[in-house]
Amino acid sequence: MANPMEQFAVKTIKPLEVAGYDVSFTNSSLWMLIALVAVSAFLFIGTAKPQLVPGRMQAATEYLYDFVRKMLDENVGPEGRRFAPLIFSIFIFVLACNLLGLIPWVGAFTPTSHVVVTFGLAMIVFVTVCIVGFWHHGLHFFSLFWPKDSNIFLGAFVFLIEFLSFLTRPFTLAIRLFANMTAGHVLLKVFGTFVVTLGSFGALPYVLGALPLVVVVALTALEVLIAVVQAYVFALLASLYLNDAVNLH
Amino acid sequence: MPQFDFANVAWPQLAWLALLFIVLYFGVVRMTLPKLGKVMEQREDKITGDLSAAQAAKETADQVDARYHAEMDTSREQARLAISAAKADAAKASEARLATAASAADAEIAAAEARIAKASAKAEGALRDAAAESAQAIVAKLTGVEPKLAAAQQSVAAQF
Repeated sequence: MANPMEQFAVKTIKPLEVAGYDVSFTNSSLWMLIALVAVSAFLFIGTAKPQLVPGRMQAATEYLYDFVRKMLDENVGPEGRRFAPLIFSIFIFVLACNLLGLIPWVGAFTPTSHVVVTFGLAMIVFVTVCIVGFWHHGLHFFSLFWPKDSNIFLGAFVFLIEFLSFLTRPFTLAIRLFANMTAGHVLLKVFGTFVVTLGSFGALPYVLGALPLVVVVALTALEVLIAVVQAYVFALLASLYLNDAVNLH
Repeated sequence: MPQFDFANVAWPQLAWLALLFIVLYFGVVRMTLPKLGKVMEQREDKITGDLSAAQAAKETADQVDARYHAEMDTSREQARLAISAAKADAAKASEARLATAASAADAEIAAAEARIAKASAKAEGALRDAAAESAQAIVAKLTGVEPKLAAAQQSVAAQF
């Protein structure tokens, strides 16, 4: 049985080094690049000739853009629209990586199944939240962690907890996405292996492989759903964190 | 898990993620989304403009309708007044005509009555004369003495 973790191995395609750091072009970089190309094609075709009555591609891009804008309107308010490009970029990048990684046969790699990548994305959100928070409110931003109308000891205790939970946000954000993607891909691989091992049972070939095959098909559909939902959750949490920074409470 | 082999997977992935995300944000999303936002805003403006134009048109139509109804009401009222005035005029005119006709008829009736009275008086006079003369003739035949006409007339008048 093939190791289900093998699919997450990062393989160097072209070794590169910048200032002593290893920045090789790997299969992970390749699939991030493919995601970028796919997103670029989607966006540039969709906005090539913007018209009042949109065509198919324009309607598709508008749908996604409107989705992100509405999410920001609901969770951040009128000031949230400024961050629409950033949240949109994160959302569509995660979505593209998640979905492209599910393509079978082509040796697809899912960059978002690597905690390093999801942590990098989470840090983009975290750093943005910090910059926006201190830019808008200065040191007053720390009042985000201070409970209103409480005595000083309890307040200090809650402050500590709130501050720690604020600092763990990038980790939870990163691990949620990474864990979902990894678990899904492991599950797919395991059931895929079952198809082969059960299907090659000598006395009754192929027949026993049918059940895990059905399961794999169903799981693939579930994984497509999870790919979309996790991209949405990532963007939604990013906008909720932005709301803290913009509006405090 | 290869994911936790940070020494080997961290820097290549982070470097490429940073590079590609910068390209995505500044080179793709920032280049395309504002165009989309602009056209969506235009559409919104157009829709609200069209809606308000339709609203204004509806209001004008309502006003015209109200004016039409008001004018219809006044002209109907005027027509009603004109009809009743004409009716009153006609009634008055026919009354006057009837009155003149009645007075003319009265005058004629009075003249005719006068003529009748005259004729009957004349006829009465002629009858008395005839009666007096007949009485004179009857007396002359019976007695052989012819009475005076005046006496005969007197006795005829005394009989009636």
